[in-house]
Amino acid sequence: MMINIFLKCIFFFAFLHPTYANNDLQAERDKIKSERNSLAVGWRDNLDFKLPKPGSYKLYNIRESGNGKVIDEKGNEIYLHDAMKGKITLLSFIYSNCTDTNGCPLATSVFYKIQEKLKNNKKILSKLKMISLSFDPEYDTPEVMSLYGKDLSYIDAEWSFLTTNSMDSLEPILENYDQPVIRKYKNDGSYDGVESHLLRVYLIDDKKLIRNIYNVDFLHPDLLINDIKTLLLNNG
Amino acid sequence: MYLRKFGISILGAVAFIFSSLSFADETCMSPYMAKIVGQEDYVYVWTLGVEGLGDEQDKLVTIDVNPKSKTYAKVVSVLSVGGRNEAHHSGLSDDRKYLWAGGLDSNKIFIFDVHSNPRKPTLHKVITDFVEKTGGVVGPHTFYALPGRIMVSGLSNNTDNGGRTALVEYNSKGEFIATHWLPTDGDLRGAKKTGKYADGYGYDVRVQPRRNIMLTSSFTGWSNYMMDFGQMLQDGEAMKRFGNTMVVWDLHSRKPKKVLDVPGAPLEIRCAWGANNNYCFTTTALTSKIWLIYEDDNGEWQGKAVADIGDPAKVPLPVDISITSDDKGLWVDTFMDGKARYFDISDPHNPVQVYEEQIGSQVNMISQSWDGKRAYFSTSLLGNWDKTGEADEQWVKLYDWDENSKELTHKWTIDFYKEKLGRAHQMRFGAYSLYSSTTDNKKAVTLLDK
Repeated sequence: MMINIFLKCIFFFAFLHPTYANNDLQAERDKIKSERNSLAVGWRDNLDFKLPKPGSYKLYNIRESGNGKVIDEKGNEIYLHDAMKGKITLLSFIYSNCTDTNGCPLATSVFYKIQEKLKNNKKILSKLKMISLSFDPEYDTPEVMSLYGKDLSYIDAEWSFLTTNSMDSLEPILENYDQPVIRKYKNDGSYDGVESHLLRVYLIDDKKLIRNIYNVDFLHPDLLINDIKTLLLNNG
Repeated sequence: MYLRKFGISILGAVAFIFSSLSFADETCMSPYMAKIVGQEDYVYVWTLGVEGLGDEQDKLVTIDVNPKSKTYAKVVSVLSVGGRNEAHHSGLSDDRKYLWAGGLDSNKIFIFDVHSNPRKPTLHKVITDFVEKTGGVVGPHTFYALPGRIMVSGLSNNTDNGGRTALVEYNSKGEFIATHWLPTDGDLRGAKKTGKYADGYGYDVRVQPRRNIMLTSSFTGWSNYMMDFGQMLQDGEAMKRFGNTMVVWDLHSRKPKKVLDVPGAPLEIRCAWGANNNYCFTTTALTSKIWLIYEDDNGEWQGKAVADIGDPAKVPLPVDISITSDDKGLWVDTFMDGKARYFDISDPHNPVQVYEEQIGSQVNMISQSWDGKRAYFSTSLLGNWDKTGEADEQWVKLYDWDENSKELTHKWTIDFYKEKLGRAHQMRFGAYSLYSSTTDNKKAVTLLDK
């Protein structure tokens, strides 16, 4: 399933995204093959260490989560905090044409596996919200984000694929979350898309407080589920 | 083990992520941080102000180190912070936008913006309530990047000014999150004491995220590190107040798991980068030994002395160490004799010294480039511990390192006394490539890294 998700992302990237519609698929496949030996822990089934028992440790209040206007898959303007719906939220910044194996596809795969692992635990799943928010509004229109998320959230889970209406709307959100992005610029200074980003996923509680921040070194569904359970236990 | 089974390398993953960005960086910082794998543009030197010299203030000194620059090997920016604080260590945030630098005496933490203009950093924020917020921790020492956070290791406390201390966690905005006290005999905090000591002392902090492990080492408290060095050596009671432990922590839960006896003040910790290299090194200041802290075949973390550094009877005082990115070499600076020693650590259980060089009359810190070809050295240990008279040299030096011939070649020296700057301590790297992929790297762009 993990590989399916990964290939699906690549399929999207290779065939559906207008910028890369003419890319050579074989080249992409070769790239995937060469990258398979450097996959992050989140691509694997098991962590390499034993997790502490849920609720046996504390997830500290790191700080308040940021807010701002975003656009949902249908083009409606809403506030990011409203999209969280008062639930425990996993927030990931992505962009649809990201090909970094250990970047956006990893975050998307981990979210997918979380909902799969929790599909028989409606009690937890009903209290969880997952949000994938684009940091490339120039390319990621609501239509593109809708297409990106299509079929990913097929189980009874809340997973939104959001974007913003402009860089001006996005930048304050990125700044608040300290989400680093390197952007490309042409020689004439005009914007040329996202070069790369620092992968981060935020665990936000029902009070909209950031309780953990994950990166590529330990972004694994088991660890995130452990933390979600801990939040539920600690918050009663 | 899963990683071993599939031969997968976290380092490889990280290297891949960074590969298209030409990132690079020293080999001794947080694995969460962006790397500079190419040529660094600047070295930021956290510098102690000296009474009667220049403006007498602590300052962040920026040196242009790009050989293609017209101002190569020159000081291009000096940012004084308004007083003397016992400037000591500094560390970059995981996105490398900010440099955190501490004052061991004033307990102030200065957060510099190094991304808006890497050539001319500015002071972004000063934390002045470190002791109050943390519940009495004194001496902010190491600044270690975690995702969106900074872990600060303390050296002391405001109750007895001794060595009992804590780790302190801040968010990236410079707001206090939590204090994690080190385990003591009186309060082991759930940790297992494996030897004679559980002193609760602190110094450095490092992690191996793939093993969910965090390690801390132990030095001494304010009453010693602010004392005149010669006076302290004559004070039998003071000499008893040095750390003899390292603590193995559960990184995720921030809980101490195991207290290891590592006698003689274990200072800097450097963890191996390789995916299967589940070990770290430290050196003991007073006993002059390299210690290996490693995970054994049963998954238990152990510590053992694996090599002498120089002649321990002469107390060469090992200070900063630096591991190469391929885990094959370890630089060890010894303050008293002013030497840099290079150990082959291909077999981590049997380090062998293969080279040594006289760097100066005293030497403390070393920062090497990711490829190991450049090594920067600086001089100052502590304001009251540095040598006196003519032996009190204060500089930053660059050497080229030839791995094949095992030879350091001196490139340049910047005399910090001649430049009226002060005592040169911690060095951190900066690069335009961290913040933009434009060919015109001076163009301000949204920040970034990986």
